Amino acid sequence: MADDRRPARPAAPRRRFMRRKGCRFCADSSLRIDYKETRTLRYFISERGKIVPRRISGNCAEHQRKVTEAIKLGRNIALLPFTSGHSLD
Amino acid sequence: MRTYETIFIVHPDAVGEQYAGIIEKFKKVLEDQQANVLKVEEWGARKLAYPVKKQSRGSYVLVAYEAEPQVIAEFERRLRLDETIIKFMTVHLEKGLPAVKEEPASMPAEEATESEDEETEEA
Repeated sequence: MADDRRPARPAAPRRRFMRRKGCRFCADSSLRIDYKETRTLRYFISERGKIVPRRISGNCAEHQRKVTEAIKLGRNIALLPFTSGHSLD
Repeated sequence: MRTYETIFIVHPDAVGEQYAGIIEKFKKVLEDQQANVLKVEEWGARKLAYPVKKQSRGSYVLVAYEAEPQVIAEFERRLRLDETIIKFMTVHLEKGLPAVKEEPASMPAEEATESEDEETEEA
């Protein structure tokens, strides 16, 4: 991942996730954060299963916290991955 | 009485009558303890995000109910004893059961617009 960044332009915007202006949960009150809704939460998980930080997801503090808690609940019941390295041999 | 929801994963090999029997059995466990079962949702066999007890699939069952806190201990003990239950989790719903139930209907449309956004961004 780090290799494909051009060293000539260190300030080049590296956006792996879409940069949203403002918090999508604040903008749309019909969206709810629930650990069972994996489709919504998948958006806040990186390829490796990490939680996407707020500076990238654009969430406000309150909603980021709720998203984080929902993801952690989802992980406990195998709805969401802890890491991409899970595999069954 | 507090509102709780328990989500448990049934072993994928338990199908048909055995599977139905398991659900009935645990519903009865709750009812025997004066718990008020609000809803039972069967999500069917789903892929697990990571293997649990060497299984990569499992049938999810969601039960929402009103009960006293002591009921949970007994219910979870019974879940733990049953070998066909590979995982379970109980969550206390502080605000009770969400009133709106018809959320899956609105989800697919939303999903479609979302994925479009992502595609255009990548391009």
